[in-house]
Amino acid sequence: MKTKMALIFGYNDYALEIGNNIRDKYDEVVIYSLHREQDSLNNRSNFEIRSFDLSDHWEGVSENVDFENSIAFCVLEDNAENIFLTISLRSLFSQLHIIALSNNKETANKLQMAGANRVIPLVQTTAEMISEMLEKPIVKEVFHSILFDSGELKITQIKLNASNDYLGKEISQIDWKYKFGVIPLAIVHEDTSSDFIYSSKIRHHTIKEGDMFVIVGYETCISDFEKVVGGRCDVNWCNWSR
Amino acid sequence: MNFFARLIVDIAYFIHTSDAYQHKKRFFYDLLENNRFKYKKFFDFLMIILIFLSVFILIAEVKHEVPQYIKFFNIYVISIIFFIEYILRFWISSSVCEIIIAKSEHDTMLGREFSLSRAILKVIKAKLSFIFSFKAIIDLLAILPFFHELRLLRLFVLFRVFKLFRYATSFQTFSSVLSTKKFEFIMLLMFASIVVFVSSVLVYVMEANNPDSPVNTLFDALYWSIVTISTVGYGDVTAVTTEGRIVAMFVIIAGVSVLAFTTSIVVSAFTEKLDEIKETKIIEDIRKLKKFYLICGYEHVAQEVAKKLAHSMTTVIVLDEDEHRIAHAKRDGLVALNYDPGDTQSYKKIGIELGTQVKSVLCLRESDVENVYTTLTIRSINKDVNIVSLLMDDTNRKKLSFAGVNEILYPKGLVGMISKELIGRPVAFEVIHALRNDYYGVNIEEILVDDRMSQKIVYVKELNNTKFRVVLLGIYKKDKKRFFFNPIDETTLESGDYLLVIGKIIFIKEFEKYLHKKIKS
Repeated sequence: MKTKMALIFGYNDYALEIGNNIRDKYDEVVIYSLHREQDSLNNRSNFEIRSFDLSDHWEGVSENVDFENSIAFCVLEDNAENIFLTISLRSLFSQLHIIALSNNKETANKLQMAGANRVIPLVQTTAEMISEMLEKPIVKEVFHSILFDSGELKITQIKLNASNDYLGKEISQIDWKYKFGVIPLAIVHEDTSSDFIYSSKIRHHTIKEGDMFVIVGYETCISDFEKVVGGRCDVNWCNWSR
Repeated sequence: MNFFARLIVDIAYFIHTSDAYQHKKRFFYDLLENNRFKYKKFFDFLMIILIFLSVFILIAEVKHEVPQYIKFFNIYVISIIFFIEYILRFWISSSVCEIIIAKSEHDTMLGREFSLSRAILKVIKAKLSFIFSFKAIIDLLAILPFFHELRLLRLFVLFRVFKLFRYATSFQTFSSVLSTKKFEFIMLLMFASIVVFVSSVLVYVMEANNPDSPVNTLFDALYWSIVTISTVGYGDVTAVTTEGRIVAMFVIIAGVSVLAFTTSIVVSAFTEKLDEIKETKIIEDIRKLKKFYLICGYEHVAQEVAKKLAHSMTTVIVLDEDEHRIAHAKRDGLVALNYDPGDTQSYKKIGIELGTQVKSVLCLRESDVENVYTTLTIRSINKDVNIVSLLMDDTNRKKLSFAGVNEILYPKGLVGMISKELIGRPVAFEVIHALRNDYYGVNIEEILVDDRMSQKIVYVKELNNTKFRVVLLGIYKKDKKRFFFNPIDETTLESGDYLLVIGKIIFIKEFEKYLHKKIKS
């Protein structure tokens, strides 16, 4: 039986934070360490620590893993090792979703070239948060509450089904605000291309089955909207293109 | 203590504790001495104008008849203004009350009888040190033209020009730079004086008895010697004898050496002081700033934050005790000073007003120890300034809070939260990330509803945001500290509210312009 797993490579504070945040989304969360014996001794978390090395012997890792639904986090502290790990994982497990951590822009580019689906640029992200905290404190508070807190306001992805009444209509013809109480932010087309809805071209886009909207609204409004047009959709995020 | 001494001490205490007196004294001190006082520059400007007027009138008087009222203005008005300034400077130069009180407390502490005569002696000493200071002497000489009837004293008007040293900081910088090479200049002056003295005596001895020589007196010889050593060489007085010409050759060589040496001293003084001059200029500029962010520590995160803040046209000042990091910050085009942000003296030297000038202090060293230390330093100076700090190890969170940090950012925790969102709502996360970072020219902005706006635009429906293709995400009511998402048309706008709008940047700007135009109309 294949298991939906989160594989975290590297034993450090980042790995533990990631593990704690995603543990309820996966059947199993395993931390892989280059120095298992030493890290196991110091391990004060509940996560299982397994050993790995940067050679091509991944038999132990790949057993029983449902690669399509699993995810790997590459958070090794050494940039070169992290890039090498990412490229090793990508070359062997093409379907695995890989998220990697980078300290700078140069490493981020290399990680993307090595096959990471998403790179978290640590320094840039931290700086963005700080500058937003200072310059746009309300935006920061609202977004933080939408994304990270369990407040009433939610952001979600809704995929349009075949039976809804709005197929063939333009985006601007839908009374989002008054009828549904939601605000659309972006659209992901069937061909996985994506756009914000603020350009005139997109406002006149004809809605097709399979289009997906990113909307913000209160939980009840989103549920009502869902009933009319389609369902919430957890997409493969690597389809999102910039 | 006798009655008279007690009376003097009581009066000193009374004056010293009088708010009105201290307020007035403080005002005049600021006006005359405090470069950060907003009215000082106007006062200095006025004094500079008076000085130039005075000199201009002196020049005009040489060949023209100057109207009586101008003479009156020059002799009396300007002189009286300078006199008042002199008296004010004399007053603020030291505090008589403070000296008396200090002496009285000192004597009481030691169990001695208060000695009024000694206190007065101290006061006289303090005041005399002002009177005999170089600047005060110049000030006094500048008042002398008041006694205009004495013809010679008219020339004292020129002393007013020296007063410019007081009002133009560049003169002060110039003299302070040259004063660092005082020893070299004295040596040079001595050398030149010896050469002038010896050569003028020699030329006088060799030329004075020669009927063809224009050198007839020792003064002629001295004049020739100075003109020659300065390499000016007018040619009106020249040596005609062979001996005299040999002396002239030595004087010429000595003159060239003196000139070259002088030039090199001035250049080296400026080269050595260049960094200091630049730093002084930066500090002066910082003191003039109204609002800025203060970044303490210029490491990786700080570099990115500074870049982002600078991009949004916000002024950022960087403090770091590490020279290399400061050099890096300067290369990045930032205003950076090599001062330890963990030292209270740094803030005193720079003259940063944490309470009024600094929007937020950012403790961005990648070390919790350093950030706690800097935070405590800042809190010891100011209790209210907003402090944002990086947290590198979650176990130190309480320590940072306890030290007085207002907002803590823990990058490792952030990575955890982002990871959760990336696996749960990746598209939504990416949309918000794109909005935050202004990708595709679409942005989210905060627009403040001020008093005037709330009077002209009462309801949300009056905003007309849809006309500008701007989406109103919601209203943040600051008094209620609550965000109202997607407000209905009848929602009232109040002063202090923030509109959160999403749209293309250009449309948001147009929308903002429209709102302000509407207020004006």
